[in-house]
Amino acid sequence: MRIRMFLIIALFFLVLVLTLFLGPTVISPFAVDATSREILFSIRAPRVVVAALMGMALGASGAVLQGILRNPLADPYILGISSGASLSAALGILGGLTFMGEFTIPVLAFIGAIVTGSIVGIMGWKRGGLWPERLLLAGVGLSFLFSSLLMLIMSISSDEGIRKAILWIFGDLSMSEWSRVPYGLAFVLAGIILSGTKAKALNALILGDEFAHSLGFTPHRERFILFVAVGLLTAASVSLGGMIGFIGLLVPHIIRFFMGSDGRVLIPASALVGGVLLCVADVISRSVLPPMELPAGIITALIGSPYFLYLLRRKNVLGV
Amino acid sequence: MSSASNHTILHLQGISFSYGEPAPFIRNISFSVREGEFIGLLGANGSGKSTILKLASGILKPASGELTLWGKPIHTYKNKDRAKLICYLPQTLDITVPFTVRELVSMGLYPYDIPPSMTAEEALEMVGLGEKADAHLSDLSGGERRRTFIAMTLVQGAGLLLLDEPLANLDIRYQIELIRLLRRLREERNISVVMALHDINIALQFEKVMLIKNGSILGEGDSEAVLTDAMLKESFDVDIEVRRSADGRAHITYENNF
Repeated sequence: MRIRMFLIIALFFLVLVLTLFLGPTVISPFAVDATSREILFSIRAPRVVVAALMGMALGASGAVLQGILRNPLADPYILGISSGASLSAALGILGGLTFMGEFTIPVLAFIGAIVTGSIVGIMGWKRGGLWPERLLLAGVGLSFLFSSLLMLIMSISSDEGIRKAILWIFGDLSMSEWSRVPYGLAFVLAGIILSGTKAKALNALILGDEFAHSLGFTPHRERFILFVAVGLLTAASVSLGGMIGFIGLLVPHIIRFFMGSDGRVLIPASALVGGVLLCVADVISRSVLPPMELPAGIITALIGSPYFLYLLRRKNVLGV
Repeated sequence: MSSASNHTILHLQGISFSYGEPAPFIRNISFSVREGEFIGLLGANGSGKSTILKLASGILKPASGELTLWGKPIHTYKNKDRAKLICYLPQTLDITVPFTVRELVSMGLYPYDIPPSMTAEEALEMVGLGEKADAHLSDLSGGERRRTFIAMTLVQGAGLLLLDEPLANLDIRYQIELIRLLRRLREERNISVVMALHDINIALQFEKVMLIKNGSILGEGDSEAVLTDAMLKESFDVDIEVRRSADGRAHITYENNF
């Protein structure tokens, strides 16, 4: 297990470095001139770091959510947090808001995510705790509501705004800049560390609240802390680059298949592999049709869906 | 098969509980579990067996009454300290994540900062699943799955097991296997067991039973004394006759006009 974890860490950093040099033009690390240095450090490096952070947030939050909701099909978007973020970001884009300069849209997305997460939390709360079924249903309901509101405002908006908003919703990393890295790093690390410290509780919660209690945990408290961690991770990822599908759903299943289901391994490994997948998807998205860029979310879904269907055919992947 | 000592592990005194309705679901029940004791909880569906086990384990908080564990109120224990003494296994063990047997059994270590003496492998050997440590739970038979969870409680080291219908959905062979295992564990580790049952014939083999009806204890004590025709009729509302064979073994027959 240690060796596999070490391999994943090595793979993560290898991919980080490789994706820096790959792209529409391949830059040789042995022949870096002034122009390519500019491309590397000002354009590609922040983009690679943002992609890695987003992928980490998605992978880790998917692993946690599938556990606290006791649902193998849960992903970071199922709770409607991202729909709320998208709605608020789209309102900002379409309304041409710039009150915080380049940070306006990420901040709006973050606020939308936190507000939606809180609404879901309040609706999922009953008799002194969060209940998985209530959370899930409240999230799905809110998700539909916000998605339809989003469609509504997009259907009555101007063309240019719509294109930008659509790009953002499908996951757009082309706006990545160094300025986004510090807060992204802070929230993603906080979310991963918070959920990592609760990994045992997560394992116990998967067995059910009665087991968790019997093993010495306070189920509602542990679930609340894990929910906050997921909220932070999802908010950070949506605000960094919109919605990227499939990583949060798929990566935890891959990790369970190769490394087992223990949260203490699952959470960090899902984070790292999530980062790897999104970095790779992003390289593909900016390389296949230059100078056009495809939204990375489309690439992850195109790679992810067939693999997910393949995994479904294998035994013991979804607990059945 | 009586090897109970005089040490009282758990004592419930005047416990009442309701799920929100004005009338209590569990009414003023009191009983004790002594070290090494096996108690069968018997009663019709909805009589309150599971609720009593959840109250006894501290999962549900009683509306009134007192629950003491080794002489101290249960709520004065830290969660992890309580988990080292008492373990509850729910009836349904449906797990949505493909844990392996070893991963699951190792969770018994969670209450501990310093691992106690028994490892997951040793516990699995004890329940006869040493070969299956790397299997997924979903690959096990119902009986093996139950034994896996028993192995988890062994690792957890709790002296008192509260088992909710552990024999449900098990073939007769696995039922016997599980009861034998629990008896052996009592001999070797002096565990106490309270288990909800639905099979009267099995309850008749217990040295101590509690008959539950409408959230109250209808009768408690030696199974021969409690499980009489009249008491069973009162509890299940069916004409049941307890017969004894020449060697003293008891079994039931009932009106079979289906």
